[in-house]
Amino acid sequence: MIQLIDVAYRYPGEREWAFPPTSLAVKAGELVGIRGANESGKTTLCLVAAGLAPRVLGGELRGKAELTGLSAVLFDNPQTQLSGLCRTVYEEVAFGPCNLGLPRQEVHRRTAAALERMGIRPLAGKSPELLSAGQTQLTVLAGLLALEPDSLILDEPVSRLDPEGADVIAGVLLSLADSGKAVLLAEHDERLLSLCVRVVEL
Amino acid sequence: MALPKALAPLTALALALTAALVAALWGGWAALAISLAVVAGAIVLGRLKPMGLVLLSLLPLALSSLLINALLPAGGGGAITAGLALVRLAGATLPLSLLFLAVPADRLLADLELHGLGRRPAFVLAASLGSVPRARARGVHVIEAQRSRGLDTEGSWWRRARGVLPLVSPLVLGSLAEVEERALALEVRAFNRSGSRTVLEPPVAAAWERVLRWLLLAAAAAAVVLRLAWR
Repeated sequence: MIQLIDVAYRYPGEREWAFPPTSLAVKAGELVGIRGANESGKTTLCLVAAGLAPRVLGGELRGKAELTGLSAVLFDNPQTQLSGLCRTVYEEVAFGPCNLGLPRQEVHRRTAAALERMGIRPLAGKSPELLSAGQTQLTVLAGLLALEPDSLILDEPVSRLDPEGADVIAGVLLSLADSGKAVLLAEHDERLLSLCVRVVEL
Repeated sequence: MALPKALAPLTALALALTAALVAALWGGWAALAISLAVVAGAIVLGRLKPMGLVLLSLLPLALSSLLINALLPAGGGGAITAGLALVRLAGATLPLSLLFLAVPADRLLADLELHGLGRRPAFVLAASLGSVPRARARGVHVIEAQRSRGLDTEGSWWRRARGVLPLVSPLVLGSLAEVEERALALEVRAFNRSGSRTVLEPPVAAAWERVLRWLLLAAAAAAVVLRLAWR
């Protein structure tokens, strides 16, 4: 579960807050949206919700941010989310579970399930460097799903996808919420936002 | 034919490091023999073309060494000294070049991790190896973007050199921004978790390879001791 109460955040060395004080809650099984113009602070709010700001980035947080369980974040640029250490899509998807130190059999199970869910099993043997932007985004999302997080935060996940890829993402978001995950979505795409139980304006 | 099928990555690393050490310490015939053996190995492994590029990259150094040693009076030793220095350099660099050409970085790192190298040093090593093609790809994107806005990057050397300057800033700043995004992505994917990491396909070393590694270690130690005693 994600709960933000009147939070604001500013980056290290900045005087301005990245977004105005904001409250939102995403319970297990809910899909909640964030809508806002460019530079309104959607990405930063996602980083706060995921517990990465200020824990990793530094800076100052005001208000109260609570995150229960394991969370995963999908950023808009898929190229920078590849590990750079894997020769195949399969290994890339397995990267997270391997980092968790899970038994090899469990890593394979999760990887196969994530590839299947994202519809990219045919790409399993391909080099991540050779994928299109859309395929890379699906691969990265599969890698996050293989972590089996309790909550998933997505920052403009379809901005580089073709309509078919966007449909896959929409289906995955709904099924994730149905399976009890807390899903937070920052997006411009009104079609995706229409799937949310509520939308927070920034 | 690929080296990993014949040798475990760690054995290949031990072999390359020992050969490079011997060549660097002893130079002369030893370095020449090692260089020739590496070239032969590159032919057998089908890596002759990239190895040729590695040799080409030594050319500027070779020319400057020849110039300093053979032509300039203050340089000293003459053409033979320059040649010997080059042979030593080739012997010290080619084994490691062949290693990185023949053994996939992730397999080498997996083997190193299994033998106690932490995931952070492994990542630094792998990221360094992978940064060159990424920088090249980013450079191509930047060049295309700047050319679409009228930057002239073709023609004479002078014109190309002038065209490079406007590319430096987006290339460097873009790479720096990328570092933060990559760090966040790795954090999200549990890279900074403590404890051991699962290796999907652990490299398997035959019993004779484990013996070979110890022999190579002994050979490396002997090369150092004998070199010190010889002086």
